[in-house]
Amino acid sequence: MNDTLLLIGRSLRNTLREPATVLPNIAISVFFLFVYNSGLSSVAELPGFQGTYLGFILPVAIVSAAVGGAGLAGQTLIKDIDNGYFTKLLLTPTRRLSVIWGPMIASAIVLTAQVVLVMLIALALGLKVAAGPAGFALVVVLAFLWGMAFAGYAAFMALKTKNAAAAQAATFAFFPLIFLSYTFVPKEYVTAGWLKVAATINPTTYVFDSMRSLLNTGWDWKAITVGLLVTFGFATVTGIMALWAARGATKMS
Amino acid sequence: MSNPDGADRSISAEALRRDFGQLHAVDGVDLEIPGGQIFGFLGPNGAGKSTLVRILTTILNATSGRATVAGYDVARQGGKVREAIGVALQDVGLDPLMTARELLMLQTQLFGTPRDEARKTAERLLVTVGLDDVDPKKRAGAYSGGMKRRLDLALALVHDPRILFLDEPTTGLDPASRMAIWEEVRRLNDDFGMTIFLTTQYLEEADRLADQVAIISKGRIVAQGTPGDLKREVGSEVVELQFGSREDAGRAYDAVARVAPERQAANRELRLYFGRAAENVPELVRALDGAGIRLQGLTIEQPSLDDVFLRVTGEALEHEVDEGADDVPAGAEVRS
Repeated sequence: MNDTLLLIGRSLRNTLREPATVLPNIAISVFFLFVYNSGLSSVAELPGFQGTYLGFILPVAIVSAAVGGAGLAGQTLIKDIDNGYFTKLLLTPTRRLSVIWGPMIASAIVLTAQVVLVMLIALALGLKVAAGPAGFALVVVLAFLWGMAFAGYAAFMALKTKNAAAAQAATFAFFPLIFLSYTFVPKEYVTAGWLKVAATINPTTYVFDSMRSLLNTGWDWKAITVGLLVTFGFATVTGIMALWAARGATKMS
Repeated sequence: MSNPDGADRSISAEALRRDFGQLHAVDGVDLEIPGGQIFGFLGPNGAGKSTLVRILTTILNATSGRATVAGYDVARQGGKVREAIGVALQDVGLDPLMTARELLMLQTQLFGTPRDEARKTAERLLVTVGLDDVDPKKRAGAYSGGMKRRLDLALALVHDPRILFLDEPTTGLDPASRMAIWEEVRRLNDDFGMTIFLTTQYLEEADRLADQVAIISKGRIVAQGTPGDLKREVGSEVVELQFGSREDAGRAYDAVARVAPERQAANRELRLYFGRAAENVPELVRALDGAGIRLQGLTIEQPSLDDVFLRVTGEALEHEVDEGADDVPAGAEVRS
């Protein structure tokens, strides 16, 4: 445990030394928030729309921050593998998993900080969280879990390919998930059948739903439970994939 | 050589083997290295040295066979092995964003040393490897090649290992840095009785440092012994004949067959092995004269590990480039 803390500390310090690795990601999230909030806010005037458009679009900015931030975990691992430091760490008596957990947890912390920052900006823009402070916290938890799910996927790709470009490309492949959903307008206003099908199988939809209910309408337990189950399930699957790849990477190099 | 605490410092391997697809990188290696020795593992690039080091240091699984390091099985007791060994691989493993002190402290703490003590260890090792007067804020990424190598060596020493693995520690270093590493290796062995397993492609390095030498070629150990024994096996004196062309050397190889039954040809040179060289020189010269071959040079020397290497592998290890000669790769066309 102590070793994991040391390795988390090291990854966090490195992130602070290379702010360029996180700044673009924060910029994109804030861009989503500002551009869509000011450009599409009239959607909220449609009949039947509940809450504010800010509360509706904020989850998109949050999820994009989480997905982008998760890529950092993969990048850190690849840098370590490339410069040989990964092997140096494997030569210590430290548990093999700590060497992989360290950067992953560190990037989850960075990602959570980014999410909180984006949410604070939304508050400054006048957001009122329908479910109150506890709802605010639960949105952060959902974002964290969703980020961990992607961090697991990014680590899996990094450990399998050991190639920075391939791992980066693999994370980008998941970006469409953000848009193949009821991203900009509520379900009731979408007419394209294919998009409805895509949105139904896309797990991101359920994350959006749960966050939107917390932000705009309050404690909708059904949406929240589904959102939590989907994120938790997804994080478990990618976490197992990362562990499996790690077993190979720590012996086959 | 001493064994201050009676701890196991030995290395052994039995029929160790590692395949990469069709390639047998390590092809049935047996080793028995007693504690406290400097053991030199000599071989050209691609001979299997690094693969063997990676297996013995627990970061690569063997395909078959078994090995123990410090008395622990490398496959089943990896954690115990890692506590006993220090490792500096051929490619240094440094995080370029961290400073030398941060790297040393983290590494020390990962071996279970508390923070305050780790700080002292870091300072002590920086002095040991001569990096104590470098700007403390300088990150490892900004270090020169030689400095990185020294820092990497320091990282291998944070837990006072009983056995030290050095994979080509001086490859690519300038002569001064190379000498510094040699001195450090000697000192670690003398002062702490540390067993040192060192791979190298430099004969001189093995000759100067190692108590025992093993020569590896194509994944197999082809000779093993003290440098002195190995050289004595080849002969006690060597006559080297230099010719103007490879053809001349080839003809001379046949012409001197009767005078020098023990001989090897490499490029434009012949190396002949004798008990006493001087006595045979007149007859050699006559034999070459009789065959009408012009001799360009003749030297008498002690056998080197190169002769041993040439004999057991049929390849020259280091190729000295003759000016004006067509570029012949190391190990090309050798007869013996």
